[in-house]
Parts: sequence; C-alpha cells; structure tokens
Amino acid sequence: MPNPVKCVEVHNVHKSFRRGSEVVDVLNGLNLEVNEGEFVSLMGPSGSGKTTLLNLIAGLDQPSQGDVFVRGEHVSKMTESQLAAWRTRTVGFVFQFYNLLPVLTAYRNVELPLLLLPLSSAERKKQVLTALDIVGLSDRLHHRPGQLSGGQQQRVGIARAIVTDPALIVADEPTGALDSKSADEILNLLSELRKSLNKTIIIVTHDPRAAARADREVHLDKGLTINQIPATVTSP
Amino acid sequence: MKYLFLVFENIRRNPVRTILTGLGTMVMVLVVTLVFTVLTALDRATTEKQSNLKAIVTEKWQIPSMMPYSYAQALSEGGADPDDPDAARPEDSMSWGFFVGSTEENPAKRSFENMFFAFIMEPEKARTMLDEVDTLSDDDALPLTTAIQRMKDVPNGVIVGQERLDKMKKKVGDRITVFGRNYRDMNLELEIVGTFPREPARYADSSVISRDYFNRQLDAYQNTHNNKPHPMAEKTLGLVWLRLKDRQTFAKVSEQVLTSPSFTSPPVKIETSSTGIGGFLEAWRDIIWAMRWLMAPACLLTLSLVISNAISISVRERQLEFAVMKVLGFRPGQILAMVLVEALLIGTLSGLLSAVLTYAAVNGIWGGLPFRIAFFPKFAVPLDALWWGAAMGASTAFVGSFLPAWKARSVKVADVFARVT
Repeated sequence: MPNPVKCVEVHNVHKSFRRGSEVVDVLNGLNLEVNEGEFVSLMGPSGSGKTTLLNLIAGLDQPSQGDVFVRGEHVSKMTESQLAAWRTRTVGFVFQFYNLLPVLTAYRNVELPLLLLPLSSAERKKQVLTALDIVGLSDRLHHRPGQLSGGQQQRVGIARAIVTDPALIVADEPTGALDSKSADEILNLLSELRKSLNKTIIIVTHDPRAAARADREVHLDKGLTINQIPATVTSP
Repeated sequence: MKYLFLVFENIRRNPVRTILTGLGTMVMVLVVTLVFTVLTALDRATTEKQSNLKAIVTEKWQIPSMMPYSYAQALSEGGADPDDPDAARPEDSMSWGFFVGSTEENPAKRSFENMFFAFIMEPEKARTMLDEVDTLSDDDALPLTTAIQRMKDVPNGVIVGQERLDKMKKKVGDRITVFGRNYRDMNLELEIVGTFPREPARYADSSVISRDYFNRQLDAYQNTHNNKPHPMAEKTLGLVWLRLKDRQTFAKVSEQVLTSPSFTSPPVKIETSSTGIGGFLEAWRDIIWAMRWLMAPACLLTLSLVISNAISISVRERQLEFAVMKVLGFRPGQILAMVLVEALLIGTLSGLLSAVLTYAAVNGIWGGLPFRIAFFPKFAVPLDALWWGAAMGASTAFVGSFLPAWKARSVKVADVFARVT
C-alpha cells in the first residue's frame, strides 16, 4: 500500500503570547501530520492550544518557533500578503458563529472569496450555485443571514468554505452554536464533503460526538499532543 | 468594480445613519457653498486684470466722491488733450451719479422697503459698461436693451431691478414719485420702463435714471427756487468708469488725468476698478476675513468630524466582519479602499446634491443670495458650485474616513479565532 500524501505537517511548533508582562506558552514543540483526505478532530481542555494550532495551520498566525507545511508549502515562512492569497486558494474556513456578513444574501456571502480570484461573473455564479447546491440551500440564494436558521447559516458558511475548492477545510467548533439535530446535519455534511470531494478536514471541538465523526482524534494538553486515537475507538 | 456591491450593501446597512451623515454633509456644504459664492464674487471683482480693464476716477479726498458734472466729458476722454491725436483714450466710459430717495413722502414712514437707489447715467452705458452686464449675450440682456430703448421715448423712464420692484410692489409701466434724500427737495416723477435681467443678481436692488432727465430736473429746481441752484448742483458726478485696453493705457490715462489742470478743484484720483472695489471693501475686511479663514474652515472641519464619527461607528461595529474578510483572503489595502469608497460615495453624492439644490434654490427661487455687502446686494451661486459641492464632500469624506479606514485595515486576522483553547 503506497504511503499516504501529507496535507499538513507541523514540526516542533512553539507559540507563545504576551499577556501584560507575562509570557504564556500555548504550544510547546508540538508535532502533527494530517494526510490528504483525512478528517481530524482536535480536542482538549480550554487553553490546551487547539485553536492556536488551527490558526497556525490555516495561516492566520505565525509560530514563535517551528515549521508548518501545508501541501508542501512552507506556511510559516510566508508574508502576510502571500498568506492572504494562499488562504483564498487553499483553505476554507468554517466558524462556530458562522460569521456571515449580515448585509449580504446567502449567494453574495458564498461569492465573497471568489471575488479575490480571477474569475468571470458567469464562472463565479456557477461555482456559487454548485456550492449552495452541495449544502442543500439552492432555494435560499437571496436570503440574508438573519432570515436563516442557525443550521442554515452554518451551511452557507460551509458553502463559502468550499466554493473556492480548497484542499483543506478548517472548522472551529462548527457545531458549537447548533442544536443536536442541526449539529448532526452539519457533521454529516462535513463527512460527505470528505468522502465525495476528498477534502482534508480539521475541526476543533469539545463535543465527543463531533469528534467521533473524524478519522482520528488528536488530544492536546498544555500545548502538546498527548495521544492520537482512531475515532472509532472512542465512538459511543 | 466587482467589489462595489459590498460598498452599496454597507451603505444600506444602517439607512438612518447614512441619511443623517448625508444630511450633515449637505448642510455643511450648503454653508460653505454660500460662503464661497460671496468670496469668489468679491475675489473676481478685486482681481487685477492685465487687459480690457476698467478704471474708476473719483474725488481724491472725499468719500462719497462728489465731483462737478463739468468733469464728466473730459474724464470720459481719459483727460486726453483734444488736440493730441496720440493721447491715450478709453475704449468706453460711463459716468455715475447717485440718487437716493424713497417712494414714501413722510420721512417717518420711510423704510428699506420703500427706499429707492438709482444710478444717474447715460442709459445705454448700462449695457456696455456695467460689470457682468457688459459680458451678457444679447439674448440674456434683452430685457435691459428693451428698457434702454424705451427710455429714449420716455425721458423720465427708470429701469428698476426686479427685487426692488417686488419690494415696492410695482411693475413695469407703473409710475412712481421718488422723494429725494441726498438731493433734498427734489422729487422725481418716474415711469418704470423695464427691469434688469435676473443675472447678474447684483443689480436686483438698483435702478437707472437718465442723466439728461436728471440735469433737466436740476434746472427745473433752479427755476422754481428764485434761480438759485440746488445745493448739490455742482456735486452730481460720483465717479467715472473708463474701459482701457491694457495696463500701459491705464498708466498713460492716469498720468493725463492726474496732470490735467481741469481736475484740480476738487482734485481727483484714478485707480483700477479692482483696486477701487478693494478699497471700498476695506470696511468689510474683518467679516470677509472671518468668512474666509474661520467660517469656511470651521464648516469643513466639522464636516470631516461628522463623517469621521459616522464611519468610526460603522467600522467599530464591523471589526469582526473585516477580520472574516481578511481570513477569506482580502488584503488590508482592499479593506481600506472599501471603507474609503463608502465614505467618498456618501460625501460626494451628498455634496453634489447639496450644491445642486443650493444652486437651484438660491438662483432660481431667490434670484441670488441676499447677502448685502458693499454695493453687492445679491450673489448668484456660480455653476462652479456644483463641482465645489462634490469636491468638498469628497475631500472631507476622505480626510474624515481615513483614520477609521486605517483601523479597519489593521484588524488582526487572528481576532476571529482570538480565544486560546
């Protein structure tokens, strides 16, 4: 069996923040590898560094020390401008509180990242409609976020994340603001995306049921991975 | 262009705030437009010309100038020696006397409404020598030329500015009796033969009576007063306007006038009209200075602060959205531009709308800005005000929104995922 292709490689990463006069070490020499098409959940107590790790992988922040590679690109060496362009092409983001622009319709929200790519209006339209179709919201194109339920808003958020066809989708507590039914639907959708579109998905979650949907659970504590367990082992 | 919908949607986000910001901009632009209207008109009147300039000859030592009418003919020739063909001569000239009176006989009842002010002059010069009338097209000047023509048939005819007509509640064809104030015991029976064009507005409150008619009234006064001339009979010439080809001609004419023995009792002075008007405006120097350097800048500063405040609130409310946009790949410069364009759009459109409404209302409804200063009773808002309004709105919006826009561009990407978990 051939070796799986690495999508994310995190080598000996340290990250510290200054809080007043105090320096807080959040990540302490953390290592992690995620294969292409793998669905990984990051779990751990508050302050364990899950979101910080997600930020570094997604190019939203830079490590104090160590290296982050995504699909062979040295993310931790990129400038802010390079990172901005790289994020548009490579990473799709799903937020806990959806973070849709309230003044824009579902269609316009999903179109937003495409504005940064050299696409014609027709090409953008095609991609937006496809993304909204995948998440099952073709009938809500012209609804604003305020006119949609939480689950529907998160679907729009997922459509926005996949509309540029990124290799990597990162999600920070994607079900954290949803009821259990909507949460299940979102998790089903993420699983489906991984299967049908072979997306690499990394989610941060506190919810064991959400984590159980992943191929692998990575548990963090005090800035280090303490164990990595195939999700089925911990599934209820 | 593909980002413009973002700008429009953001402007529509809080319509009340957008409308209030727009209205604030409109009010400020209105005030500054009116101030600039007055200032530019005064600047234009006091700017020295190099060619086709006008000179004013007045009494040297007395204000108001009161020269004998016997000066008029020689001064209209620029003081040139009639036998000297090489002497410098004006291209045109106009002599002014002033008749101030009231249509109300009872001095106790005299008011601004029944006041009457007229230039005593050759009527046809009103078309060729009056500032801003002399540059009107024949079509625009038609009401005046018709009235001037009519004065040839009606010696006691008077041309009255539209606003003065309205105040006196008179119309063309009516007869009025004017009771002299500076010429005491001289009452003129006048027939209104026409009016000035609406533009330029500065003559809306003025009138023109014929010099020949007025001189005959002086003679009549003498005949009815034991052959005793009117006390003002030798002081009926206020000033003489000369149109000169260039500054060189002005220098020559000045020399001729100042060295002529004909103008020594009383002595006269000659200056360009811009210098003369500038000197006349000295009395209003402080108010003009305050308008130019306090009022207008204060309005523009206030306008910038109004816009800055509105955009700052908007930016503060949208911090998270800017962070999300950056996460999606928007660059700081794109976010800066988006916020600036929002402010510029509000500022420019509000400024332009304000200027259009000001132009239409002031010129169309009121016939000019009624701000009485020196002998300018009204000021027409110039067409240039349209771009002033847009430019003022745009520039103050740019200045006022730059700091908030910079804050928007500087939002930290990691703010969206700020929690350490």
